[in-house]
This record gives sequence, C-alpha cells and structure tokens, in this order.
Amino acid sequence: MIGALATQLIGLFVDDGFLAAGILIAVAAIASLILLGALPAWLAGLLLTLSMPAALAASVARSARQAPRPDAADEGPPAPP
Amino acid sequence: MANLTTVLSVAGASFAASFVEAVEALTIVLAVGLARGWRPALTGAAAALAALALIVAVLGPLIGAVPLRALQFVVGVLLLMFGLRWLRKAILRAIGVVGLHDEDAAFQRQTGELTEAERGQELGLDWIAGAAAFKAVLLEGIEVVFIVIAVGAARGRIGLASAGAVAASILVAAIGAAIHRPLARVPENALKFAVGVMLSAFGLFWTGESLGVEWPGGDPAILAFALIFLGVAAALVALLKPRLAKPA
Repeated sequence: MIGALATQLIGLFVDDGFLAAGILIAVAAIASLILLGALPAWLAGLLLTLSMPAALAASVARSARQAPRPDAADEGPPAPP
Repeated sequence: MANLTTVLSVAGASFAASFVEAVEALTIVLAVGLARGWRPALTGAAAALAALALIVAVLGPLIGAVPLRALQFVVGVLLLMFGLRWLRKAILRAIGVVGLHDEDAAFQRQTGELTEAERGQELGLDWIAGAAAFKAVLLEGIEVVFIVIAVGAARGRIGLASAGAVAASILVAAIGAAIHRPLARVPENALKFAVGVMLSAFGLFWTGESLGVEWPGGDPAILAFALIFLGVAAALVALLKPRLAKPA
C-alpha cells in the first residue's frame, strides 16, 4: 500500500510527463538566466506568463492529436491519460 | 482591493479544490460503508484524518523555518505542476479525449471490488474495507493539505486557506451523511476547470515573485493570470472540440 501511495503522490504533480518536463525546463531556464544576471526581472515575468500557458496548450494539443479520431477510431494509439 | 482579492482568491481556491477532493473521498467512504458497514468505513476515515493531523503537525512548524523566497519558489513550481495538470485533464474531459469523472461509476467500482474481495476471503475483510477508506481519505486529504499550504503559506494566509478547506469538507460530509449517496450531480469537471485555473495562477504568481519579479498591480495580478489561463483553456476547448466531435 505504501508503494501505491507513493505512486499516487507523484501522480499529484506528474500526469503527463511532457507537461511536467515543459514546466520544469521553462522555470529552470528562466531562473538560471536571472541568477546569471542575463535576464531582467520584468522579462522573466513576461517569459513565465507566456511559457506556462504555452506548455499547457502544447500538452493538450499533443494529447488531442494522439486521441483516436471518430472517423478513424481503430487507427493510432490511444491518448495518454 | 489587494487584500480583498487575496482573501477571496485564497479562500475560494481552497474551498473549491477541497470540495472536489472531499467529494471523491466521500464516494469511497460511502461505498465502503454501504457495502461493508460503517465501522470499517468510519474507522478507516478517522485513522486517515489522524494521519493527516500528524503530517500537518510535523510539517507545519517546518514551513515557518523555510526562507520565504525558497518557500515561494518550491510552492510556486509545485502549484504550476498541480494546477496545470488539473486544467489539462479538465480540458481533455471537456473535449471528449478523456471520459468525465463519474462518482456513481467510482462508487459502483469500489462496491464491486469489495464484493469481489468478499467472495475471495472472509477473514480480514473489514481490514480491507477500512484500508480502502483510509487510503481514499489520506490521498485526497494530502491533496487538500498541499492546496492549503500552497495557496496560504506564501502570504501568511494558512488560517484563511484552512478555513476554506474545513468549510468544504464539513459541507460535503454533511451532505453525504444526509443523502447517503455519492454526489454525482456536482459539476466536478467545471469545478476542476476553475480550480486548475486558480491554482495555476497562484503558481505563476509565486514562482515569479520568488525570482524577483514585481508583478504589475501586486496581488490582483493573480486574477489577471487566472483570466489568461481561462482564456487559453477556453480557446483550446473551442478549437479542439469540433475536430474531435463525432460527425452527425
């Protein structure tokens, strides 16, 4: 049961690996640039504001693209959960 | 304005998110109670609540020891992952890629599992039933604790966030005790949509603030972020739903 609990706890934050990776990479890149002094804070805010909805849109579009189409229900792999 | 915005957004997000989690926990506890009796159901639920109280008692003092910037960064990133995950799933449900969460179906599934277990073994069945209730309440409760900490800690509004969560839990428990059925009519996907939007907005706000970003307007920027996420989510639904809809 502890293993199942741990798996479900991780699942609270990571459902689609593509989305989770997108968020972490974007935040890490922006934070690194700020720490290096290569990015002003206002631009970091703008990048965060643009990159998070973009990561969401990319993840949803990817899942929708992988979902079976109604007119080709037997083709293609099922969408990730 | 800033204070009112913070109060409403913290309490509202905490209440709505906790309401959804409490409904899901209630479904399992009801299934256990009606299938195997209220003793294992309530014992499992009470044990989970005790475990949650222990987690809060241990983690609570630690939060105060973490520097504010670090706390905002960790909570902000986790909130972004948590909130965008909810929002993504709500969008996929709205466009039909993922089936809607059905409390009646979850109730039937849990009841079926307990009935199946009953056929397989008689001894220890109450333990299995109690463990099912324990696991459901603990997992959903941990999500509630995380949400309370996430939306409340970075602005010292833990009490307000806790009040929203406690109110939602009491409301759901009272309704469940009164009707003894899963709350299948709750518009769960709409709630998850709204909560995903709010939690993502909080996550974006805290992450930026922890990196030194001074958001225009201060706290009300959270509402602006919520509108951005809402707009993107609504656009995705409008764009993708017709493509995935079955031809007439």
